[in-house]
Amino acid sequence: MITQLKSGNVYDPHNKISNVKKDIFIQDGKIIDKKNVRSKVDKIINCSDKIIMPGAIDLHTHIGGGKVNIARLMLEEFHNEKEPGYDSSAIIAPSTLKTGLKYIEMGYTTCFEPALLPINARQAHAEMSDIPFIDKGGYALLGNDDYFLDLLRKKSSQSTINDYVAFILSATQSLGIKVVNPGGINAFKFNQRALNVDEKSKYYGITPREIVEKLTRAIYDLGVPHPLHVHCSNLGIPGNFLSTIETIKAANGLPIHLTHIQFQSYGNNGDKGFSSAAVEISNYLNKIENLTCDVGQIMFGQTVTMSGDSMSQYRNHNHAHPNKWMCMDIECDAGCGVVPFKYKDKSFVNALQWAIGLEIFLLAEDPWKVFLTTDHPNGAPFTSYPHLIKLLMDKTFRNDILNQLPKEILNHTILHTLKREYTLNEISIMTRSAPAKILGLKEKGNLSEGSDADITVYDKNKKDIEEMFAHPSLVIKDGKIVVENGKIKEYVWGKTHTVKPDYDKSIEKDLGKFFEKYHTMKLDNYILSDDEMNSLVGSPVYVNDCKYKRKQ
Amino acid sequence: MTSQNNIKNLTCPFCSMHCDDISVTTTNDQYKVDQKNTVCAKKIESYNLNTKSIVMPMVGKKVVKLSEALKKISNLIKGHNETLILNHGVELAGLRSILSFASQRNCIVDHVNSKFLYQNIGVVQRTGYMATSLTETKNRADAIIIFGNEVLTKTPRLIDKVLTPKNSLFPTSKKEIILIGNFSAKIVKNIKGKGKCNITNIKLDLNLVGDFLKLLATDDLKLLKGLKKSELIKIKNILNKSKYIVATWTASDFIKTLNPKKIIAAICKYIVDLNVSSRAACMPISGILADETSSQALTWMTGFPSSIKHMDGTFKHDRNAFNSQKLIDEKNVDVVIHVSTINSGKLKINSDITNIVLGHPNTTFTSTPDIFIPVGIPGIDYEGIMFRTDKVVSVALKKIRDIKLPSTQNILDNLA
Ligand code: SF4
Ligand SMILES: [Zn+2]
Repeated sequence: MITQLKSGNVYDPHNKISNVKKDIFIQDGKIIDKKNVRSKVDKIINCSDKIIMPGAIDLHTHIGGGKVNIARLMLEEFHNEKEPGYDSSAIIAPSTLKTGLKYIEMGYTTCFEPALLPINARQAHAEMSDIPFIDKGGYALLGNDDYFLDLLRKKSSQSTINDYVAFILSATQSLGIKVVNPGGINAFKFNQRALNVDEKSKYYGITPREIVEKLTRAIYDLGVPHPLHVHCSNLGIPGNFLSTIETIKAANGLPIHLTHIQFQSYGNNGDKGFSSAAVEISNYLNKIENLTCDVGQIMFGQTVTMSGDSMSQYRNHNHAHPNKWMCMDIECDAGCGVVPFKYKDKSFVNALQWAIGLEIFLLAEDPWKVFLTTDHPNGAPFTSYPHLIKLLMDKTFRNDILNQLPKEILNHTILHTLKREYTLNEISIMTRSAPAKILGLKEKGNLSEGSDADITVYDKNKKDIEEMFAHPSLVIKDGKIVVENGKIKEYVWGKTHTVKPDYDKSIEKDLGKFFEKYHTMKLDNYILSDDEMNSLVGSPVYVNDCKYKRKQ
Repeated sequence: MTSQNNIKNLTCPFCSMHCDDISVTTTNDQYKVDQKNTVCAKKIESYNLNTKSIVMPMVGKKVVKLSEALKKISNLIKGHNETLILNHGVELAGLRSILSFASQRNCIVDHVNSKFLYQNIGVVQRTGYMATSLTETKNRADAIIIFGNEVLTKTPRLIDKVLTPKNSLFPTSKKEIILIGNFSAKIVKNIKGKGKCNITNIKLDLNLVGDFLKLLATDDLKLLKGLKKSELIKIKNILNKSKYIVATWTASDFIKTLNPKKIIAAICKYIVDLNVSSRAACMPISGILADETSSQALTWMTGFPSSIKHMDGTFKHDRNAFNSQKLIDEKNVDVVIHVSTINSGKLKINSDITNIVLGHPNTTFTSTPDIFIPVGIPGIDYEGIMFRTDKVVSVALKKIRDIKLPSTQNILDNLA
């Protein structure tokens, strides 16, 4: 069956197409070129007053795994739909079903859980398998696990570390590697309450810098497309922009992705000891070639913060709203913390956080290096993306909100001086083409022949850009129309994206012994096979290519 | 022809430890655990088929074909208003099918142990909570406080796998194990025999746990019934020296006390407070009927851990209204579908309402259900996934025998 999206205004930045009237043809779930349409077109959809973009990709959103489920459990009061006063727009820790519905309704077709604990991989994938519509994947957490820290302490070779990293990618069915507060989660288990980039952890005597160095190198050596995904040290602490800069330097020029950089761009100037360091961070971002980031914009209102960073979540638990929280040490592997939080527009700190995120967006010279995220749900639920897009595209709208915030923040941010308005093409880059590129997803984020027919069609006539992005008129997933005029047409189930660089299998022998001695499960049980993913977990695996053959 | 097979690293489905180091030898459809002399071996072997096993569907006392039983169920459900699916233990795929079946028929879904679940999660839903997991405890805990003895009787291998393991990443000279409540001399001996540790047993009435913890947290040396001054001083000294304290209990143990929730809240608060200057965490032991598998999967699929009703595409959760015990006792449901794949106890049947059981072949009942469909046991008859007591780890279950029974998933998907 061939479907034709006829004469829409197409934005396909990967192919350098910006606002060009074009037809898009779909066959068997893939996009095909007009010249290759050999049989009759079965369905023609008139898109003359429509905007066509590839399906959006969220490269950092907490949608599955232990901590997400803890948040759901903790915040039960936010999902009793039959309760009087239930707010249907409130998606605080949504169920898997609701997650899928809300994403697809906004035209998002691929999402990544960024904090997949290796020991919790089975659960994270099982949860994500129950999210309808979207393709998904995860980044496995390393850098706080005792096995890895012991490798570093023993001064193991880079090639052994590469084997371990490749093993983890494969065993946990992940697309990338993330490090959260490098070494800090582990140090917290030994009662250390802070760990700066060049500070040695008390037990292992290893610094966060060494961890970042080794892991960025491993990712580079293995040819894994997505750079090391880093949640830096000192999250949320005033003055932390300095440790963020040191973390950038720790990559030694190799590719590195800093996540929710808004939370890592704080100065400590002024009488409140809290100020924006967005300019300093943006200077690095604009200058350093191999550096990318996602923003982690905050929005005012209720949300819940969840992180592998038990050290900083424990530190933050006094701010819990509603007043309940949980932290956990996990399996000599990692940790987590869940703290509900309400960002208040009357609060100096929260208002400045809001401004800092926007500054970073607006100061970024290259939209291919900055990704649109709220670190769902840490900064705000992902359902606020349309609102965020409007903030970026409409400076009057932005300034109107800014003017309602505490006046003192104007001494500590330059937001009011920034006149930039994002274009539709730039939005298309940062929500489609750029994430696909940085994740190495060749068949996503573009409308080239052979790519997945994941397509979002917006109504050009909608006056309000927020409304346009919130309610696309058509969403197509793998060639099937799944949303039409806001209504779900069909349920489809996506696949799990992974990458599997080679490794020397002898590492499994050593790991097997380690598990035997110190773990409470066998290595065999820890490894998630493709078969198990398919049959028990419930999601087929798609293996993406590495950039090149392993270097060492 | 006899076929014999040795299966290593079987994952045990029968309690929330889910040990995966069991080896069994199968001969045709019978199996024997190679590691003898443990309580667990007996338990695992008790699911072998025997003369009392029911391997064919029954309507009342009459053996019928599966298709007939299924048809009968469909008709029964169609003719009734309110159907409850009561989970007595099943793996992830079974739960997914329970939910999709329930959503098509607007059923209520509950787990038989929900009340214990709510006691533990009450803390997460109302206050602060510090948790830990089995491997952390095994390697890191230098002091473990066990409240009540059920922890050790329910999950027998907690002792050798976690409390007194042979190896540890961060060895302490001697692990301190503090037992609060009544522990038999046999259990104490059992722990001692397994590894290097000091055991202190305070024979305290569990009702007094809150007061006891208050005493630990202050300089007060006031005494409680069952607590000697020397004991209190000793425990204070142990805990002051400890660097990673783990508290463990099982909620069902407190059911005999006046206020179980209060006891759990007191333990959790005590642990949270220790973290101001040191490290400590809780590790409750859940029930043995795949309680965690149920609460985890329901939570991600619906937002609620148990006691839910499907209502045309959305879910309503109400702990009182959808409490299975209450629904059955007060006859507020007309049909109960019991799903029971790992339970070893007698299934309670209230014959005033219609009872359908999807259960393993050795299921026994207080009275004959209307319909019984024998289903396979996850981890014995088919592969599956279950969650361990510490929630964060889930395990893959294997298939070790082939007695051609359908899974719960097969049956429910067929009915849906
Ligand atoms: S402790 Fe539990 S899981 Fe382990 S073998 Fe015994 S019954 Fe099975
Ligand atoms: Zn995040």
